[in-house]
Amino acid sequence: MSSLAELQRRFADALCAPEGEMPAFGVAGTAPAPERMDIYRRAIFANYRKAMAATYPTVQRILGDAIFAATVDAYVRAQPSASGDLNDYGDTFGAFLARHPPVEALPCLPDVARLEWAIDEVNRAAEGSLSPERVLEALAAVAPERLPGITLRLAPRCRLVTSDHPIMSIWQGRASAHADDPRAPTNVAADKLAVRRDPDGIVVERMPGGDFAWLAALAAGATLAAAIDAAQQADPAFDLGRTLHAQIGNGTIAAIVE
Amino acid sequence: MPHAAGPLVRPADSAPAADHALRAAAGIGLRSPHIGKVRSERPPIRWLEVHSENFFADGGPALAALDDLRPDYPLSLHGVGMSLGSADPLDRTHLAKLKRLADRVDPVLVSEHLCWSGVDGRHFNDLLPLPYTEEALAHITSRVCEVQDVLGREILVENVSSYLGFAEATIPEWEFVAELALRSGCRLLLDVNNIYVNSINHGFDADRYLGSIPGDKVAEIHLAGFEASGSYLIDTHGAPVAPDVWALFTRAIARFGPRPTLIEWDLDIPPLDILEREAATAQAILDESHVVAR
Repeated sequence: MSSLAELQRRFADALCAPEGEMPAFGVAGTAPAPERMDIYRRAIFANYRKAMAATYPTVQRILGDAIFAATVDAYVRAQPSASGDLNDYGDTFGAFLARHPPVEALPCLPDVARLEWAIDEVNRAAEGSLSPERVLEALAAVAPERLPGITLRLAPRCRLVTSDHPIMSIWQGRASAHADDPRAPTNVAADKLAVRRDPDGIVVERMPGGDFAWLAALAAGATLAAAIDAAQQADPAFDLGRTLHAQIGNGTIAAIVE
Repeated sequence: MPHAAGPLVRPADSAPAADHALRAAAGIGLRSPHIGKVRSERPPIRWLEVHSENFFADGGPALAALDDLRPDYPLSLHGVGMSLGSADPLDRTHLAKLKRLADRVDPVLVSEHLCWSGVDGRHFNDLLPLPYTEEALAHITSRVCEVQDVLGREILVENVSSYLGFAEATIPEWEFVAELALRSGCRLLLDVNNIYVNSINHGFDADRYLGSIPGDKVAEIHLAGFEASGSYLIDTHGAPVAPDVWALFTRAIARFGPRPTLIEWDLDIPPLDILEREAATAQAILDESHVVAR
């Protein structure tokens, strides 16, 4: 007699096997086992396609429904869900697309997926920030000689996304992801984007190079002095005062740690 | 059927009364396409149920919507991902998120499914069938107790639809369900549509199933629509409740007395008023049985 664990393992293997295949465990009565197993096989893949389409509408639009579905199926087989919460699934889709030969003609696709995952994460992230007034107060309370050594924390509802492709325009539907499309941009600068959840919804903002380098350094845990260095390397004209006030004002800078 | 939308139950008046407010009320499973309309129009739906996992987020618009609706509607949390029957250890992070949500919204009911969803850390995010054996019964009983201990409250466990049974099974589904409730102290969320679907898929008598369920353990009833596919019924939650299922529901209510009843619709979700109409049909059956019982 098989243990519960063994039966579940065999059921799981049967789910991953192609449609029509006989499961390697006993099915009750005279039931046509492969046919019954197929009901589960179809339901599971349909469920993931639906969930992934909700998270990745732009990737779906670029690929079309049929190729998107086949791509999701391949992803599910390669990287099964590790959580009972379906909302957690799909975090590595961008990385998967970068190594998935059938979509290699679309080099922007992995980054579009990373942008959509960032949006999804930001939508579920904690508020987790002091008000701009409180952040400014905290900043004013730091002794001037200590300022270079402080760190500024980004709010959980903010993410930074960078790409060599114009992913913001593609995401907005204003540029084509297909290189042979006349709407495809011909001279493309890298996109450096901040994704943020505001009270009214998701904001995706294209950042100047210095501002982005400053935020990216802070997000990596750099001190204020090190972040300013990084920003000035990216843009010698980086204006700390303006950026600091803008990023505190829009809630991106959530806390100050001395 | 007559439209039977009664006065809105205000949980502010009845919060400590647990599920008494819902005893004879038909509610609706709230899904994302309807959240905006329910928030803006506050229709007289008697209670709402949501999928717990969709509100596990740390923050954001979904959770804000739930906070907004909570004062006006009794709320039930219905989990789809606890994987109670899995041979894997119980996912403590998942359970902690459920507890955090339950502490936040103070639901009148909390329910999970009698199923498993993954093994060896590989999840399928679906409601997979258990082999109805003594081993599985002992296992899921201990898991239900574990969940109830952590949450500090009783949970309801729901019977699932299934498309195959295991040759290893030694216990009929209805006995397994009843025994789980008796051993673990949980109560039951009896899905009447699932009983009907399984009675066709596995060839048993649905009334025999109902007759084996201890009535005092039934704390909620689910209704939904199925679709036929070849010789099977698929529990799609994508159609109106079938006439045979309404009839089985009526017999269930006659046997158990009125119970909080919920309409679920998850695929090709229609406008809210279709769901309200289904709930009104259920409400009329509950109201009628109420009169008879008195």
